[in-house]
Amino acid sequence: MSRYHVVVDDKEFDITLEYRSEQFVATVNGRRYVVTQTPLTEGRSLLLIDNESLEVDVHSHNGGGERRVFMAGVEILTSIEDYAVAQMRKAAGISHVRTDDMLNAPMPGLVVDIKVKSGDKVAKGQPLIVVEAMKMENIIKAKHAGVIKAVRVQAGTSVEKGDILLEFE
Amino acid sequence: MTTPIRKLLIANRGEIAVRIIRACRDLGIRSIAVYSDADAAAFHVRLADEVYNIGPAPSNQSYLVQDKIIEAAKRSGAQAIHPGYGFLSENAAFAKRCEDEGLIFIGPKSETIALLGDKLAARATALKAGLPLIKGSDIESTNLAAALKIARSIGFPVLVKAAAGGGGKGMRVVNDEELFEESLSSAANEAKSAFGDSRVYLEKYLARPRHIEMQILCDQHGNCLYLGERECSIQRRHQKVIEESPSPIMTPEFRARMGKAAVGIARGSGYVGAGTVEFLVDEDKSFYFLEVNTRLQVEHPVTEMVTGIDLVKEQIAIAEGKKLSLAQDDIQIRGHAIECRIYAEDPDNGFMPSTGALKSYVVPAGPGIRVDSGVVVGSEIPIYYDPMIAKLIAWGKDRVEATSRMKRALEEYHVSGVETTIGFHRVIMDNEKFVAGGLSTRFLEEEYPDNVYRHLTDELRERAALAVAIDKYARERKIAVGNGGMAEAASRSNWKQTYRRVGLRQFGGSR
Repeated sequence: MSRYHVVVDDKEFDITLEYRSEQFVATVNGRRYVVTQTPLTEGRSLLLIDNESLEVDVHSHNGGGERRVFMAGVEILTSIEDYAVAQMRKAAGISHVRTDDMLNAPMPGLVVDIKVKSGDKVAKGQPLIVVEAMKMENIIKAKHAGVIKAVRVQAGTSVEKGDILLEFE
Repeated sequence: MTTPIRKLLIANRGEIAVRIIRACRDLGIRSIAVYSDADAAAFHVRLADEVYNIGPAPSNQSYLVQDKIIEAAKRSGAQAIHPGYGFLSENAAFAKRCEDEGLIFIGPKSETIALLGDKLAARATALKAGLPLIKGSDIESTNLAAALKIARSIGFPVLVKAAAGGGGKGMRVVNDEELFEESLSSAANEAKSAFGDSRVYLEKYLARPRHIEMQILCDQHGNCLYLGERECSIQRRHQKVIEESPSPIMTPEFRARMGKAAVGIARGSGYVGAGTVEFLVDEDKSFYFLEVNTRLQVEHPVTEMVTGIDLVKEQIAIAEGKKLSLAQDDIQIRGHAIECRIYAEDPDNGFMPSTGALKSYVVPAGPGIRVDSGVVVGSEIPIYYDPMIAKLIAWGKDRVEATSRMKRALEEYHVSGVETTIGFHRVIMDNEKFVAGGLSTRFLEEEYPDNVYRHLTDELRERAALAVAIDKYARERKIAVGNGGMAEAASRSNWKQTYRRVGLRQFGGSR
């Protein structure tokens, strides 16, 4: 049996899965479901949850435990980890919010403005860097609160997707 | 005298190139596509009859280079050029160049484009044709003292706009006198860098207007029609995202008044071809002339759905010199159509463009659904161009049916590999104000001030949690459940082989 801890917005889900005779027997916060999964194309699959048909598309987002789920016309951000890991983390008093120590360029473009400097304390959602791509200015905001350790680019720098823009402490 | 077009070059890419190629196919016209290095395997290149490379990916080295487009037209023997929208479509110099080279430019005459492209000249033309204008300066306002005097007489808030403007560039809302000077000069600077023309002018700022536009169609023989309106109030950064026809507030009497105004400026400017006259409609239902777009609009399909008229075919017929086959009384608005623009953008991240390859791409279908898509599965979304990948259009007998079909279609639409605005649109379709037709150009900022476009039920959250758990388990244990996946892969490759065989026969084995 596998046990996972999944967070969607402010809701936490304790999920157990057992795979037998080509079916999953799942419990979600204690509620039992029988699920079959048929893979479709990469990342997509057809789930039958107690015979309810649901086509889902799961792909990892920003690496780590973040997953983006697309189903029923909506996109849903989730994060998943092994239950045991989540327990240890909670015992250590670390919130489930994953903190990146690097900010990478989400797209190729031109850095046109840097709104922070090293040593700055930033809040979640605070604008950090402005990158121009496709003739549009895109404001890259902090995904979490933190302290800027170093800014690795300058205004006028051309960046490729994935280049390190700045580091957090 | 009419000149039948046998070969037509499409100076564009993406969904609009595909749309025009389809019209060519319907008419038996040979379609010529052009493509940049980034688009070598693009959908429009696959569909066209003949294709010509026009250089490197950046549009200022390819799709915007007049010489390269003209050269491709000459080499291919095309008689006409359809510019689509964007790129060279409203470039008077390019239209003139086509005229001089003996090529048919599918659009109005170059002098009409020049006249209406200059916002100040367009305002003067509208005034002469008796169209209602928003209170403003009909002179360029670069002299600060004079401009301030005008701003005071109009009354704050005022809107500073670029004479050569478009797309919100060089535009500023000024709420009070204090910020006037600064806004005026920053708008002028932005206009200078965007359009090479620093002229700006002033307009009274309407607080919560609707954007409603009239589709017009004029032939070379002085006949001019209006094909009903489109409401495009739902905008983000001055870019339309959802459009519909008819407007929820329209009445036949109102439509006739607005239509006559649109035809008035068309006649006043010697307009030929398909065009759009844009208006702002105030809360008291007064309407004001905004501008004329001298090209096919992105949102033209909603008009096609409710009138049954193929606008691209009409454009080509007009360019051939044919008379319009319809009279104003023949135009009937039937049912309701809504369009959602599907962008490769991430609504959760400030609508940041999302690039990459489409790993899966399944478009919706069924009653009342039309998808004008510029991509197929496997397509790369390059960084160089507008990130709109498709337009989803739903038609219904009324607005309620169109909306429910749109919801169904959005739920059927599956894209992976890039982020898209599908989920964003799905949320809007449930918005109470949208459902009630209570629209204004400030709809999005008023309804979603914190830019969060989702409303999830706990049931959906639970389903999503279960889905990621199963995904993780299956990936880690590499479970190939049943052999459904294998069977599908096998049948696909069989199909591919059959398709290739058919393909070989069709093209005489030359590829």
